[in-house]
Amino acid sequence: MSQALTRIRLLELQLLVLPGLLTVVGLLTIFLARSGTTTWHWSDIAISVFYMGLVLATSIWLSLIGFRGDQVLLPIVATLTGLGLLLIQRLQPALAARGKGWATIAQRQVIYITAGFAVLWLIIAFVRRLDWLRRYKYTLATIGIALMLATMLFGQEIGGAKLWLRFGTITVQPSELTKLLLVIFLAAYLDEYRDLIASGYRWGPITIPPLPYLLPMSIMWGLSILMVILQNDLGIALLFFSIFLVMLYVATGRLGYVLAGAVAFAIAAYVALHLVGHARVRVAVWLNPWSDPQGTGFQLIQAEYAFAHGHIFGTGLGFGMPQAIPVVETDYSFAAFGEELGLLGTVAILALYLLLVARGALIAFQARDTFLRLLAAGLSAVLGLQAFIILAGDVRLLPLTGITLPFISAGGSSLLTNFLIVGLLLKISAHGEPA
Amino acid sequence: MTNWVIRSAALLAATLLAIYGVLRTTDRAQPLWLALLVIIGLLWAIALWPPIRRTARRIERSMLHVITVLSIGFLLVGVQLARVQAIDRERILSAPTNGAVVGDPRLSSALVEARRGRILARDGTVIAQTERAANGEIRRVYPFAPAAYLAGYYSPGLFGATNIEQAYDAELSGRAGIAWRAWLDGVLHRQTPGNDVVLTIDPALQAKADQLLGGRPGAIILMDVHTGAILAMASAPSFDPNKLAVSTTSTQDELDAARAYFQSLQQANAGALVLRPTQGRYAPGSIFKTVTAAAALEHHTATLDRVYRDEGALSVGDRVIIEQNRPDPNRVSYTMEEAYGYSLNVVFAQIGLELGEARLRETAQKFGFGAPIPFDLPVAPSQLSSDPGYLGNPAAMAVTAFGQGQLLVTPLQMVLVAAAVANNGQVPAPYLVDHIQTANGAIIQQTQPKIWRQAVDPTIASQLQEMMRWSVEHGYAHPAAIPGAIVGGKTGTAEVGNQPPHAWFIGFAGKGQPQYAVAVIVEHGGEGVQTALPLGKALLEAALQRSQ
Repeated sequence: MSQALTRIRLLELQLLVLPGLLTVVGLLTIFLARSGTTTWHWSDIAISVFYMGLVLATSIWLSLIGFRGDQVLLPIVATLTGLGLLLIQRLQPALAARGKGWATIAQRQVIYITAGFAVLWLIIAFVRRLDWLRRYKYTLATIGIALMLATMLFGQEIGGAKLWLRFGTITVQPSELTKLLLVIFLAAYLDEYRDLIASGYRWGPITIPPLPYLLPMSIMWGLSILMVILQNDLGIALLFFSIFLVMLYVATGRLGYVLAGAVAFAIAAYVALHLVGHARVRVAVWLNPWSDPQGTGFQLIQAEYAFAHGHIFGTGLGFGMPQAIPVVETDYSFAAFGEELGLLGTVAILALYLLLVARGALIAFQARDTFLRLLAAGLSAVLGLQAFIILAGDVRLLPLTGITLPFISAGGSSLLTNFLIVGLLLKISAHGEPA
Repeated sequence: MTNWVIRSAALLAATLLAIYGVLRTTDRAQPLWLALLVIIGLLWAIALWPPIRRTARRIERSMLHVITVLSIGFLLVGVQLARVQAIDRERILSAPTNGAVVGDPRLSSALVEARRGRILARDGTVIAQTERAANGEIRRVYPFAPAAYLAGYYSPGLFGATNIEQAYDAELSGRAGIAWRAWLDGVLHRQTPGNDVVLTIDPALQAKADQLLGGRPGAIILMDVHTGAILAMASAPSFDPNKLAVSTTSTQDELDAARAYFQSLQQANAGALVLRPTQGRYAPGSIFKTVTAAAALEHHTATLDRVYRDEGALSVGDRVIIEQNRPDPNRVSYTMEEAYGYSLNVVFAQIGLELGEARLRETAQKFGFGAPIPFDLPVAPSQLSSDPGYLGNPAAMAVTAFGQGQLLVTPLQMVLVAAAVANNGQVPAPYLVDHIQTANGAIIQQTQPKIWRQAVDPTIASQLQEMMRWSVEHGYAHPAAIPGAIVGGKTGTAEVGNQPPHAWFIGFAGKGQPQYAVAVIVEHGGEGVQTALPLGKALLEAALQRSQ
């Protein structure tokens, strides 16, 4: 009995109260705000109830199988995903007009979330050891490059960027999976050669990096960047590049590499700016949206209004008008929360991402071996960096890019990949021991 | 210990830089602000850099560094959020949305429009209000035509708003009420009712001013010299805001009609959308002699009875100034008072040359030149010269002294000059909005008359007053005389290239002591005394009758 009790993931269950209340009360608010009444029925919030059922079932199942991994990760992810679910429910009436395809965008999001949890279960239930990832690093890298090549050749262009592959009615964004493959490859490669890479050749006061060992990694990275630039999206390029630098720094602890890399990227970005029209427009709009308020600046100005209307406390879920921002469900989901949850809400979301990264880092610290440590560091960094790049774009700290906000933005590819990442992190946090 | 000091200093410096940046920049993506953010980020890195045990593993050490950098990145996102959601909020929401810039759809929802407050004249005459038809149609109407363009237009979905509708949007829409009430309304999702903006405009005088201008391009301002309250402010050509105001309930035909009217205004290219009293900048001509005289008296380079020679021409450098204004071609000696009343350019050229650039500029600045005049609507600054070195040239100094050269002034600036002369040298802060009240008439905010700045000493002001009165009693401004009232004035005829000159008049009038100041400009109207003076006199007379 006492043994069974100690296996209960009590902290996790306690923390799940937050996303539970958030999604259920939030959806109810949205429904009531829309209907303008105070009468409701359970069926109106069925989606949130279903979602929380899914989350709780996951937590209880983890308790039942005696899973000993991290207990904070799931509540954070459940909160963020719940916010995404609320957002899409909130926007559904406005998006319905565009909701062509095999289901409405809100229904699709529920299906993706369910699929995401399924991925989580599969990883935890069936993946025994993560060592095989290390062994198949070149295979994984090849798959990643093949995916990017396929996108380049057969890709679908949406909003000026060629990032999607179309299978019938389903569009897939392969760069989401590629980012994961890149992290795994870098972790495995750096684990093998990090001492060699870190030492370098001393030549007087200068240390020359051991180029032969940096080469395969640089090629892999360079190819991804090149493809991404050819695909017309600098956001993903920035993400890939930052992951590369972060992992290189974590593995070797050498600031020189980071600085050299950053300078190289600055030059590459400058050149790319002159080659890629899409990116140039985004930079111009970032600095002065009012130069073309009805055209390219329209989206940004509308987001500006949304944030400003939110003020400190927000208008309340369902009471704003975030649908005025074009493509709000992916590019500007943050602005939608800015309007309806206010500064308190947006800062809370920032804090959640930071907490997620910090928790990932903690998992990395406690990981069993260097490969897992690097892997955990890379996986949490990729979530943090991706969130940072799009959030910074939303608040005009950086130019806006088309990458998704992890767990919140609508879209299957990013949701599945991010749940894959969480699954791996949970697995690593369980010290890689059999469940 | 030193470590602690460095960290605190870095944190403090970052905070100060952030405050400086917020004060200096208006937009979150201005290069200056972005550069400051980079520096703030670096300072935070110094302040927050984690102390790490020497025994820590390399990976742990570098991971902590990565997390620190990422956290700082997130903090910077937070700073940007604070700017857009709290600090810059009002600026973003009340940004001008004139035609070219797309409006905020939240402001054009039927509910928001329906509760927008009214714009009233001081006696309650409605200048702008929102009407709701039986069929739910909402319409912003401007029933009082002579002041309609002062209210501006409110057309959120199409052209945004202008003038009072724009400048007082926060009050009219109810956003700027009592802070805690607005907050409570927000939390409870109660509608915040809009407030009424009550102007200082006297409808009878405004109608008179508008009628006097009669559609000729130009401007008239009538002001209470003691308070700075604007009693009438006419501008022509203007526009009919009734034809520009559209709402969410407008039909496609109404939208098309509004667009066509806006286009026709723009194509006519007459500047109908420009509010001339505050935005029009003109060469002042002889009315500027008032400022020159003030400077000369203030700096003791001249007195009222000092005698100057005017032989009909004066050569300064390579330029010859021809005198056309002498009352008697055989007379060559005039006091300064006479020179002002007869508007003698040759005498004022001499006064200006004696005075020099620095002293003229100092006095002009005290009257408000070059400074943003505090007002309820945006005001274009008036200038002595556009090229920095221009006034260093004696010929340029000479012509500037009698009102030509590169001088550009707004009618509002010139009415303030007249008002300061009439008000013991004190420039009143002009205001157009008397108070803000709730829909029930409870006053939320009352404008208190203020003195903006002291232009000249009271003794100098009384000499200037005497000079302006002499100009009406004995000089060329004599048609401005009103029986039973003290009147001072100055006409101006400003040369503008090959076109007919601008006609100007500034003046003041009152019973016992000066009470009202007026400035009139009729663009390309010819002689000031013939075109502008009668309008100014008629308005002053009307104002005196009203106050009896």
